[in-house]
Amino acid sequence: MASGTRTQTSSTIEAFPPGPKESREWLWSLILGLVILGLVATVPVFGDASDLHTWTLILMFAVLAQSWNFIGGFTGYSAFGNVAFFGIGAYTTGLMLLSNLPFWLGLIAGALVAGLFAFLLGLPVLRLRGHYFAIATLGIAEALHEFVAVRNVGGDGGLMSLPLPSLSSYVSFFYAFLGLSLLCLLITVFLTRSRFGYALVAIRESEQAAEALGVPTYRYKVGAFVLSAVPTALAGGLYAYWATGFDPDTVFNVGISVEMVLLTFLGGAGTILGPLLGAIAFEYASFQFQISGFSLHNTLLGLSIAIVTIFLPQGIVRLVQEFVRKPAPGSTRTNRLIEGVRRVRRFIAANGI
Amino acid sequence: MSDALSRPTESNADAEGAEQHDTPLLQLVSVTKRFGGLAAVDDLSFSLQKGEILGVIGPNGAGKSTMVNVIGGSMTPTSGTILYQGHDITRLPPNRRTHLGIVRTFQVTQPFMGLDVRENVMVGAFFGQQGRNRTKARRVADEVLERVNLAHKATFKGDQLTIADRKRLEMARALATNPQLLLLDEVMAGLTATEVAQAVELIKQINKMGVTILVIEHIVRAIASASNRILVLHHGRRIAEDEPSQVLSDPKVIEAYLGERYAQKRTQEDVSVSSITLEDLQQSGEDR
Repeated sequence: MASGTRTQTSSTIEAFPPGPKESREWLWSLILGLVILGLVATVPVFGDASDLHTWTLILMFAVLAQSWNFIGGFTGYSAFGNVAFFGIGAYTTGLMLLSNLPFWLGLIAGALVAGLFAFLLGLPVLRLRGHYFAIATLGIAEALHEFVAVRNVGGDGGLMSLPLPSLSSYVSFFYAFLGLSLLCLLITVFLTRSRFGYALVAIRESEQAAEALGVPTYRYKVGAFVLSAVPTALAGGLYAYWATGFDPDTVFNVGISVEMVLLTFLGGAGTILGPLLGAIAFEYASFQFQISGFSLHNTLLGLSIAIVTIFLPQGIVRLVQEFVRKPAPGSTRTNRLIEGVRRVRRFIAANGI
Repeated sequence: MSDALSRPTESNADAEGAEQHDTPLLQLVSVTKRFGGLAAVDDLSFSLQKGEILGVIGPNGAGKSTMVNVIGGSMTPTSGTILYQGHDITRLPPNRRTHLGIVRTFQVTQPFMGLDVRENVMVGAFFGQQGRNRTKARRVADEVLERVNLAHKATFKGDQLTIADRKRLEMARALATNPQLLLLDEVMAGLTATEVAQAVELIKQINKMGVTILVIEHIVRAIASASNRILVLHHGRRIAEDEPSQVLSDPKVIEAYLGERYAQKRTQEDVSVSSITLEDLQQSGEDR
């Protein structure tokens, strides 16, 4: 009986290539990501001051989306209050600067404080799931916003004016954000290849099954939350010094939280390139609107949310993946073309159009 | 049929059980799990020796899945004790139990859709009994996939698999953790007759490698040919526990499944449950 089953199945195996190779998608994504960041790196060389300003902010949003991706994309926990870490980073760095401490120390302090805050916050809220988790994080961020304003942290109503940057020029800030985005890209690639990242995806897909296979899910969720808080706080610290003046309404703006989510989903949640591409596409378009005189940022934001959720809930990257996914073995060129068309149709159909 | 039923009794269960006789691999001591007023598992005690295949059957709502949840750790019993190799594990979280060697599969398969088949299995290898590096986890995954006949689909995503393959993936993931005790929750539900035969064969193979198995199933005929011993649950209680041929001709069991009148009729005709189950029990559907 045993041998009978084996021979029967081994004959079906022959139709497939023996021992399929691991996907190299991560490598291509990494290369493409490096190329994109490399191209963006030339902005200070070829662009003017307004380009530099625009792309500095685009990169900042890229970092925010990339770090949100760790908790929202990989782990599947819709954190709607990640702006709290941005604000914590900004205010910690600002307060340190006001006490005449060096900027880099302020940055590190901001990252540490935000990391610790994420850890302590994660312990209770990561016991929640779905909407409850989203609402809890949103509430905490708003509470922090209010606290900073009411307690006059850093100035009247939380309004903070910092000494002008001693960094040589705005180009340094641009490259600092670029470096941070690169770091996030590398962390993301590491996640798609590592034990830690597999655990996060497993938690996203089925927390119950992950737990049953020995994943200490709670610990990993808290880890992902902290991992997503630290780069966000670093971006907040950089923003604080770059902007020199800010108030709670700017750095604890719930709109930033929403944008982190939108940019990630627009590009493709849980993918390597998604948040970066989403940030570049959306923020660039948004800045073009601002430059041309319409203040349509929020309109664009709202419209994009609607479009993404209806037409592209899986994001740009997954659509492309669907295009390039390996066809069934042994198919001819014509078959592949037909299969390609069919896949896009299926993708569109699966997304409810 | 009688041939198929008598075979498991002469297996290695007795021989291997003898050396470990004083400490069973798994022991439930009057375990009860209540949901409000309902006792899904009611004062249940049994033990499982190393190397055994224990089948658990029972009609819908008998408490089979709750029992697996309690042993697997996703539910804590209301009262009672669960001993594993003599140690109390009653309140251990599921992932710690996995590290000790107790692994379960899910009745409703839960593949990690974002990962391909091999990566799914690698999660089991990574987080099983000992942490493993990537190369090693990959090798373990490939070995396991080979064993369950999924190697040729290693790069498929979860949504590209048939039901039978998904069930196999559930088993493969569990095996990759290097378990000592495998809890199979209806791995044969929804399979064709051929696939069921393959699954039974696979379960026996896994058992031969030294894994003790507790298998929950609706398809009584399949479970009878795979198990050394069968435990019958009804309303959360044990109503029979014996070797398959004995259990399946037990009037109490037939009654639990098919009602009293049917049992009387069948007993008069001297037909065992095993021969009527396929038609009669399949309609009882999925047990959640």
